[in-house]
Amino acid sequence: MKNTFILEARNVNKRFGGVIAANDVNLQVKPGELRCIIGPNGAGKSTLFSLLCGIQRVDSGEIFIHEHDVTHKQQFKRVRFGIGLTFQTNRTYQDLSVKRNLAIPNPSLAHSKSAHQQSKERMVMALKGFDLDPQDETRACELPHHKLQWLEIAMVLAGFPDLLLIDEPTAGMSRDETDRTVEILKQLNDHGLTIVVVEHDMHFVKSIAQKVTVLHQGRIFMEGNVADITANEDVKNIYLGHAH
Amino acid sequence: MNSKILHLIGGGADIGTSRTFWIGFIIVVILFALYPIQVSEFRASNAAYYLLNIPLGLGMALLWGYCGVLSFGHVAYFGIAGYTYGIIAGNMVGNSFGLIAGVIGGLLASTLVAGVFAYFVFYARVREWIIPILTLVLTILLETFLGQTAGYQWRVGSVLLGGYNGMTGIPSIQIGSFVFMGYSFYYLCLIIVLVCYVALRMLLNSNFGQVVIAIREDPLRTEMFGYDIRARKWLVFVLSAVLASISGLLYVQWGNYITPSQVGLLSAALPVIWASVGGRSSLLAVIIATLILNWVNFTLSAQGNQYAMVIIGTALVITMLFFPRGIVVMTAEWIGKFTNRSNNEATH
Amino acid sequence: MEIDALALSLTYQFGTNAAFLFLSALGLIVILGMMNIINLAHGELMMMGAYAATIANNQFGLPFPLAVIVSFFAVAIFGAILELLIVRRFYGRELSALVVTWGISLILGQGTFLVFGPFMPAIKIPGGSYSYGGFSFSEYWLVLIGISISLVIGLYWLYRYTSYGLQARATMQNAEIAKALGVPTNRVYTLTFSLGAGLAGLSGALLAPTSTIAPFMGQQFVAPAFITVVVGGATNVISGAVGSSVLLSAIKTPIGMAYGAFLGTVALLVAALVIIRIMPDGISATLQKIMDRRRARHTL
Repeated sequence: MKNTFILEARNVNKRFGGVIAANDVNLQVKPGELRCIIGPNGAGKSTLFSLLCGIQRVDSGEIFIHEHDVTHKQQFKRVRFGIGLTFQTNRTYQDLSVKRNLAIPNPSLAHSKSAHQQSKERMVMALKGFDLDPQDETRACELPHHKLQWLEIAMVLAGFPDLLLIDEPTAGMSRDETDRTVEILKQLNDHGLTIVVVEHDMHFVKSIAQKVTVLHQGRIFMEGNVADITANEDVKNIYLGHAH
Repeated sequence: MNSKILHLIGGGADIGTSRTFWIGFIIVVILFALYPIQVSEFRASNAAYYLLNIPLGLGMALLWGYCGVLSFGHVAYFGIAGYTYGIIAGNMVGNSFGLIAGVIGGLLASTLVAGVFAYFVFYARVREWIIPILTLVLTILLETFLGQTAGYQWRVGSVLLGGYNGMTGIPSIQIGSFVFMGYSFYYLCLIIVLVCYVALRMLLNSNFGQVVIAIREDPLRTEMFGYDIRARKWLVFVLSAVLASISGLLYVQWGNYITPSQVGLLSAALPVIWASVGGRSSLLAVIIATLILNWVNFTLSAQGNQYAMVIIGTALVITMLFFPRGIVVMTAEWIGKFTNRSNNEATH
Repeated sequence: MEIDALALSLTYQFGTNAAFLFLSALGLIVILGMMNIINLAHGELMMMGAYAATIANNQFGLPFPLAVIVSFFAVAIFGAILELLIVRRFYGRELSALVVTWGISLILGQGTFLVFGPFMPAIKIPGGSYSYGGFSFSEYWLVLIGISISLVIGLYWLYRYTSYGLQARATMQNAEIAKALGVPTNRVYTLTFSLGAGLAGLSGALLAPTSTIAPFMGQQFVAPAFITVVVGGATNVISGAVGSSVLLSAIKTPIGMAYGAFLGTVALLVAALVIIRIMPDGISATLQKIMDRRRARHTL
């Protein structure tokens, strides 16, 4: 069987002035994976997402989505290959109603229409799981924090992606809310959605992940399953700030 | 089908969605339609002048209020359309297609300039402050250019550009032998304004309009839903330039002349002021502000008042300081809150 | 011999154009670089500088160089007041700041007209002129080129070696962190706006002898100043102002000489549109990138 990847970064480099944000990063995600990317502050996790989505351009290296070379594609074109992103800081439309927030994304923009039915089911699943009403006229800014995070995930799913990149979804959430998020993300993953999550919270990572990638100082430090990663002394040191 | 159209017209993209509002709206439109019956042709013609500026103001609201892109130079498209009409229609006097060719030519010319300009700024993804600056520079250069076109060598066919004195003797629109002037020109303006308002409201309530508003709220988030925001902004910019051109075309019908000062710095400030004072995120508020401020301005300058520009500048500063969402919009919000409260009290 | 003279004249024109663009844009770019605010009343501040110098020179008999210094301080004080009363409410709201400063510019222009009338007696251009091979060179413009260069050095010194400069650079990099570290960012903003206004006044005073003194003279600086700033960008004040005025002068000078001043300015706008299509954040950002890359190569 040909080993295909839904998302692949090859030798990606990026620097800002003197800071190296991505150092020869190679990342491969298979369809159906649920991957966590962890690492201390400033490890380059969010930058990696920006580079994958095209919000920032790589200095060198290549990026593939569904085997298409998107390295030089504008960000909105990458989205049309079936990639969806939620931001680290919540970016729902604060002044618009929940209804309108959910109505903005448009599935017909995407190239692939193969899993249309499945995407639709995932959307229903997310709305139900996150307790969101697509007819709700409440303004987004009146929602509590965790609901906003959920709303943004639901909005992205409304665009029918088959690959979801989520940047710190549970930051600022209570334990219950985090668990609920984990549960829904797992359900979505079971329903064919490939998910890559950047997270800080080890509780979240432990309860969700199949495979974990550790980023440190812009490079991939380690990759493996949760148990190996959490048991690893070097990883502990990175988090405590002793490693160099 | 019908309810869909009604929803597009009456949707929440502008203030006023209640039944009371629409009854009031229709009454006001009827009053406007009856106005010429009570006044002289001269006053109807003055009122037509206030009306003809409204598409320009609506263009400003569409671009700045709904899409978040500011232009200080939309009068350039007003001027380009007016001058182009003057050149084409003036050269084809007597030809029955001359006037319509002038209208089409005027719209095409300003669309072309707006399209090229907008391509450069939006596809380069420049910072948002660069666009107002460059639009301002464009209109100032246009004024400088037109100002030095005095003399016989600046002649296109049989039409003189006329330098600072402007282009005169521009023919009015007519159908057969019926010329739009005085009362009939007032009605022409009124109908065009109504059509522009309803069409824009429908556009903004449509999916396209909702995405435009989303771009204003958060361009990056909207782009990450797969929308080509460069293309959308480009289209909105060109559309607002077309609205400015409609005003320009009506203006040259009204006075049969146009001067470079129409694209000068002071004129350029006016649509921005109408939009700020009214409240740029509401079409109707901008219409109201355009009418009132044009009336004030017209009355002041008719009396030779030298303070006009100081008053306009002060109004702008005060609005920006104390009424950031616009005087009309904030008043409407206040009325809304007030009626809500009294409704609540009545039910308790 | 004629080729010599033509080359010399082109160089001189190039220098004067660059100096003119630099002086027009300097105050604007200082404010933009720090606060991300475009001051649309910039042209009127230059006009005020020209008026202050003219009044000091004609009515109080101050020698011209002293009058120029007086106008720097006069407009700087006015700028500080403007910042405290109005501009500071608009930080972080770029478009609203543009609109409100435009309102201010209308008031200042018309207000000057009401107070001082339609025109002022001009200041004679100080110094004489040389002629060579049929071209003439004004001493005063040569002095202005020299002053422009010293302003660049002075600003470099100010940003590099004074405590204001340190605080300003810190605030520019990251206002919140600077504030947390105890930099009085509000005062830095006031000082910077005041400095930018003062520099506008200084430029207005310096350019006063070369132009008609009138209430709406500020308008003539609007196009060149804003194009220079757009092309220069705000990543680095000095490299932006210098790089952009030199580049634009290289475009304007030959076209202006061959086809006249108006088409020279049109060429500026076209050049600006093309340049931002290639470098959306202006020359200073591109220079910064090149320097970063070079530094990176050295460290690796």
